[in-house]
Amino acid sequence: MASHLPPRPTPQQHQADAGGMAADDHHHGPRGLMRWLLTTNHKEIGTLYLIFSLTMFFIGGIFAMVVRAELFQPGLQLVQPEFFNQMTTMHGLIMVFGAVMPAFVGLANWMVPLQIGAPDMALPRLNNFSFWLLPVAFALLLSTLVMPGGAPNFGWTFYAPLSTTYAPPSTTFFIFSLHLAGISSILGAINIIATILNLRTPSMRMMDMPLFVWTWLITAFLLIAVMPVLAGVITMMLLDINFGTSFFNAAGGGDPVLFQHLFWFFGHPEVYIMILPAFGIVSVIIPTFARKRLFGYASMVYATASIAILSFLVWAHHMFVVGLPLVAELFFMYSTMLIAVPTGVKVFNWITTLFRGSLTFEPPMLFALAFVVLFTIGGFSGLMLAISPADFQYHDTYFVVAHFHYVLVPGAVFAIMAAVYYWLPKWTGHYPHTRLSQWHFWLSVIGVNLTFFPMHFAGLAGMPRRIPDYALQFADFNMITSIGAFMFGASQLLFVAVVVLCVRRGEKAPAKAWDGAEDLEWTVPSPAPLHTFETPPHFEPHRH
Amino acid sequence: MRMRLVWTAGLVACSGLSGSVLANGWNMPVGVTDVSREIHSLHMTIFWICVVIGVVVFGAMFYSLFRYRRSRGAKAANFHEHTTVEVIWTLIPILILVAMAIPATATLKTMYDTSEADLDVMVTGQQWRWRYDYLGEDVAFTSNLATARSQVSGESAKQENYLLEVDEPLVLPVDRKVRLLMTSDDVIHSWWVPDLAVKQDAVPGFVNENWVRINEPGIYRGQCAELCGRDHAFMPVVVKAVEPERFDAWLAERKEAAAQEAMGVDREWELDELMERGEQVYGTICASCHQPDGSGSPPAFPALAGNQAILDDPDYHIDTVVNGVSGSAMPAFRSTLNPVELAAVITYERNAWGNETGEAIQPAEIAELLDEQ
Amino acid sequence: MWRVIKSVLAAFFGVQKESRRHEDFSRGRASHFIIAGILMGGVLVLLIALVASLAAR
Repeated sequence: MASHLPPRPTPQQHQADAGGMAADDHHHGPRGLMRWLLTTNHKEIGTLYLIFSLTMFFIGGIFAMVVRAELFQPGLQLVQPEFFNQMTTMHGLIMVFGAVMPAFVGLANWMVPLQIGAPDMALPRLNNFSFWLLPVAFALLLSTLVMPGGAPNFGWTFYAPLSTTYAPPSTTFFIFSLHLAGISSILGAINIIATILNLRTPSMRMMDMPLFVWTWLITAFLLIAVMPVLAGVITMMLLDINFGTSFFNAAGGGDPVLFQHLFWFFGHPEVYIMILPAFGIVSVIIPTFARKRLFGYASMVYATASIAILSFLVWAHHMFVVGLPLVAELFFMYSTMLIAVPTGVKVFNWITTLFRGSLTFEPPMLFALAFVVLFTIGGFSGLMLAISPADFQYHDTYFVVAHFHYVLVPGAVFAIMAAVYYWLPKWTGHYPHTRLSQWHFWLSVIGVNLTFFPMHFAGLAGMPRRIPDYALQFADFNMITSIGAFMFGASQLLFVAVVVLCVRRGEKAPAKAWDGAEDLEWTVPSPAPLHTFETPPHFEPHRH
Repeated sequence: MRMRLVWTAGLVACSGLSGSVLANGWNMPVGVTDVSREIHSLHMTIFWICVVIGVVVFGAMFYSLFRYRRSRGAKAANFHEHTTVEVIWTLIPILILVAMAIPATATLKTMYDTSEADLDVMVTGQQWRWRYDYLGEDVAFTSNLATARSQVSGESAKQENYLLEVDEPLVLPVDRKVRLLMTSDDVIHSWWVPDLAVKQDAVPGFVNENWVRINEPGIYRGQCAELCGRDHAFMPVVVKAVEPERFDAWLAERKEAAAQEAMGVDREWELDELMERGEQVYGTICASCHQPDGSGSPPAFPALAGNQAILDDPDYHIDTVVNGVSGSAMPAFRSTLNPVELAAVITYERNAWGNETGEAIQPAEIAELLDEQ
Repeated sequence: MWRVIKSVLAAFFGVQKESRRHEDFSRGRASHFIIAGILMGGVLVLLIALVASLAAR
């Protein structure tokens, strides 16, 4: 590696860039709407991604509220099963592809160039294109709700043949919108890889990069590896539906289980795509507020890579009851158990970073700590689900719903919120309102646990997932869950309030907004000017 | 301080919760088979392992959170690596996992051993009911949700076994090894009874195997576990386990009834007779898609009332019901229903809800058709 | 060669000495590590498959 490095910048260059940073803050391009439509600036595109993601988070959230309202008590009260199935499906699709993934891409757009001392993303026009594909894709997806036959109603995993032979006519639109979202993801991933590998400030080596950059680099490779598989499988669906092929149609000699293999070969790395950047965020925030270097930096990088590689070997643990041969069950059980090891290493490292630190509990730290605890609980249920014989009881019950919501909501979503609180001073020049942020945090933590913890019990007691009505013994759990869900949903309005307030006013933040923060983004003024690091900054690696 | 308060509140909430749910069951059932007991013990083992790890990990974490706060004057130490510690905390989880994998492998091998079964039952998932075939015994029937729709809509009070009751349960003998062969006529379903620890996907075009040996007589309830469309929540599984002698008697009785029905094929049926039988078949099989009043729910499920395409052409109507419509949600009923049931339901559809063809389709006609094909 | 394998093994295990890592990153070639990593990924798959098929007997 070292032999390919360009020479280090001279001190003269370093001084010149400090002056140049703030000077070029005026904007040259078109104004108004066209400015946002045509922008190629990584900060503006990052903002667009984040606003889009927040919008989708609320739309997906409303769908979840409909689901929880119907499940508040047994019987069919508000919606019919057809519509209920559309709600669960759209909730999953929107949250996964519209809220969580774009949020991480938005954070990467904003922060990767700033953390590696790059002036912008490597491919700015492509960046603009990858963002604007998303509103089109999701407008198309949402429009299926008003089409005859209704929106997709076969779950976010869209198992064939329910999603092909038995699907509503709008499925073709769903396929097209997923293609667009997939193209957007691939282009975004290419851009992030190109940026990280080519635009680092010369004195920063790979093993000096902040962990958020590392985890995103690995995530981007995962995206490039698996999004084409998703594109392939939905194209096969398209052919089955519209062109008379029988990939997944048993009557024509096809194989419905093939669909699941292909889907989960994409789907399992996909869940790591949604959690690895979260690991990166937490690994950046915890050292900042512990005022202590991250414990085991190298192990963290290795563990991330290890999780990424293993994620390709475990897909069929989603299919333990589909009738796999015994050898396959054992293979996927063992490989899945192996993943617990690097994941455990990460949790141990975070906790050891806290040990003998000097801790304070600003809002980003609160969310990061909640992430560590609640993600670990999700990890525990994941370990239980890996035990294949026990999975015959857990599979497709609310236990699974509890598991993946623990890793995705207080996991991925809390990490995104931690990141937003952490970097808001850099984006807006103001600190987020402390009281309001704390209210948001505590209501979210209580709401999220009230929502998802009882789901474990409902699942173990025998409640299948994706049902609009349930037997009477599940009534207590569901009522608690629904109350928690309404509470969690409502408290996210506080989040919007905090962000809007922070954009408008608040305590002024200096360039280095948090006293324990070390990375390069804290060397540029707050709010960050439109153009930063036009000449590579000097970077002083930690002395090893 | 605040944190302590929240934790106390949380503990109080948890204990209140466990009080209310203990009565209803909040853990995986131990079940009534050897396999279900093994699975339950695996579940509890891994659960307690997680609890112990959780206490250690979260204990260390919360100790650090209290002990090393800056407000208490903590100064940050400067260490960031310790190879020995890292090796130890990587090795310990590996050892725990190996210890866990060994009993799990043993249980899985037991579950996969479907050899030497005393009885084979074919379980077929259909939108949205289960069909049971006692292979080699000429006994077969479908099992439908028995809960009245008025309970679902809230017009009448919900009974104890709301959504977990069927018109005809699967009857199985205790102390005999029963092999279950799972398949589906349409989409993927999943046959699940928690007390038996059997959950197996029913995949169209494929036959999956599982087995069960029930230790105690009783009624065991479960549900379809794989999203299978609109009425996924409304296709329960009920297994009635009885002593082997009672099972043999029951099977003989069902065989006799099936033979009786088969004889009915040859005789001439009256329109009224067919209508009566047809209404019953329509209610359990057809009404969930085409609606009790024949209005359907287009575009997926066309209306039958006033449907000229079927009324003008009896052969087309018969063909649709017997062979299904490929590429649509309409399944073939040739193997699900016997000739009497087929003739009756077609006759009913041609003469109910204002459809007044006055035609009686004879079972013999259908039987002949089935033979030809 | 042996050094590369040892480093990749350490990466699979997830623990590596800082000094060792430093040495790898200053002296080693990235391509060697990547090739070794892919090959040993394959070895890992075969190993798990072997254990699984032995256990399934």
